[in-house]
Amino acid sequence: MSNENDRQSVLSDLGTRLAGGVHADAGIGRASEPASDFAILPWANVVKIGGQSIMDRGRSAVGPVVDEIVANLNRHKMILGTGAGTRARHVYSLAIDLGLPVGVLTVLGTAVAWQNAQMLQYLLAKHGIAFLEPQEFGSLAHYLMERGAVICQGMPPYKLWEANPDSGRIPPQRTDTGCFLIAEVFGARKMIYVKDEDGLYTADPKKDPGARHIARISVQDLLARDLNDLVVERAVLELMLNAHHIREIQFVNGLKPGQLTAALDGEPVGTVIFNADLARGAQA
Amino acid sequence: MNDIRAEALHVVSTLMRESLVDRKVIARTEAPVRAILPDLNVIQIGGLSIMDRGQSALMPVLDEIVANQHEHTQIIGVGPGVRARHILSVGMDLGLPTGALATLAAKSSAQNAYMVSCLLASHGFVYLEAPFIVQLLPAMLAAARGAVFNGIPPYDLWEHPPAFGKIPPHGSDAGTYLVGEVFGARSIILLKDVDGLYSGDPKTEPNAKFISEIHASELIRMDLPTLPIEKSLVSLLTRAKSAKSVRIVNGLVPGNLTRALAGEPVGTVIHL
Repeated sequence: MSNENDRQSVLSDLGTRLAGGVHADAGIGRASEPASDFAILPWANVVKIGGQSIMDRGRSAVGPVVDEIVANLNRHKMILGTGAGTRARHVYSLAIDLGLPVGVLTVLGTAVAWQNAQMLQYLLAKHGIAFLEPQEFGSLAHYLMERGAVICQGMPPYKLWEANPDSGRIPPQRTDTGCFLIAEVFGARKMIYVKDEDGLYTADPKKDPGARHIARISVQDLLARDLNDLVVERAVLELMLNAHHIREIQFVNGLKPGQLTAALDGEPVGTVIFNADLARGAQA
Repeated sequence: MNDIRAEALHVVSTLMRESLVDRKVIARTEAPVRAILPDLNVIQIGGLSIMDRGQSALMPVLDEIVANQHEHTQIIGVGPGVRARHILSVGMDLGLPTGALATLAAKSSAQNAYMVSCLLASHGFVYLEAPFIVQLLPAMLAAARGAVFNGIPPYDLWEHPPAFGKIPPHGSDAGTYLVGEVFGARSIILLKDVDGLYSGDPKTEPNAKFISEIHASELIRMDLPTLPIEKSLVSLLTRAKSAKSVRIVNGLVPGNLTRALAGEPVGTVIHL
């Protein structure tokens, strides 16, 4: 049915090389490298609202963050993703005890991020802000243009297809990763994580009073330090190394009014993790 | 049950207030996994290797699936083939990112999976989109006689940018494997147009040796220039909890699938 002549007629030059080989061929991967990178939504900002750090605190923390989002609706376009938090921790520990696999834990964790996204949407509904499921992302640009923001749950839609971690049973790609990949695929202007710390420290400031703040660090440096704990999922740091669009990610303290706005305005608040490898950046 | 503090409301659990990024916390969560569907056999029909060849290659494979229907519970993941290569090349030329390319390519394997489901419909096979795999697979297997699904995982816009280039790293090999892994399947069998793995390309290197059995970590160390499977699958196998091997067999050779289902040593098996 499909002979070489048929293939040649439908395929471009690169297409012919792809059709002749397999995805696993490293040479073909490199051959696709010089292609240009088109940024789909270069003016969009992805803002992740933390689960345990913001949402679980209720009105005292969520209220001021919502006010700040509303104040920025006419200034910046925002894709708002939510984290999961303490209910995810509970359902993960229960599911691990029941012997359920990582893919099932991902389905369960997604439901928690979804709950938080719904709550945030109720609080922003009167400003015309919609909630979008992953399969509705085709409408995302429209909502951003018309209303200035949209809400989505932060988990990537991997569900049962989530890969196992190197160690343990907790899904390795959660809401930090899902939001990062949204920013990367749309070629977004900024990826901002709103948590309950001023950013990255040399140790967990909740547990170690001697921990020092880090204002700016390269992802290469951070990975080389091989820290036991991090401000962000490890998967995000690994994906940053391969990203074509997102050169840096920023972490701000959502408990301090004004930090989100400052980050949206391009100010160096909190912690910035940047990619020191300029090769990828030259393409963007 | 609830621990109410001045600022945050926590649900009591072993992971309460813990950083889920902390390696020590993560290591504590290591525990055995229960198989959800231990009798399941997950079979992949290759896109370029089987589907694109049309009925001469595909119908004997489907006949063999039907012949094994009473003996084995089978679900079929299908690969995209040449149409995915075409849209990847057009999409890359337009500068689209990997996540957009993955979303586009997944439609080509959905077409192939739908065709396979039509050809197996009279034997009770149903086509299940990803949300229905999540919600309905066990019920469908109890009521129907098998299922067909899109081999490409539903990563869509969230697909990872690869280390080189833009080609989505998780194709129908990885997606088929992950379905087997999460359900704790009895076997995962990939039907391709080669007998399995060789130490080199048998088409160009006459001295290339056939590999009947290998560990995933060893295969990564060998760093072969070409593989008949996705590299991401080999990497996933190194972290397997339930589905600890994958068998690659030549789907163009009648009887291979039946032998693989019976647990006979045909083709190449890659172990954890």
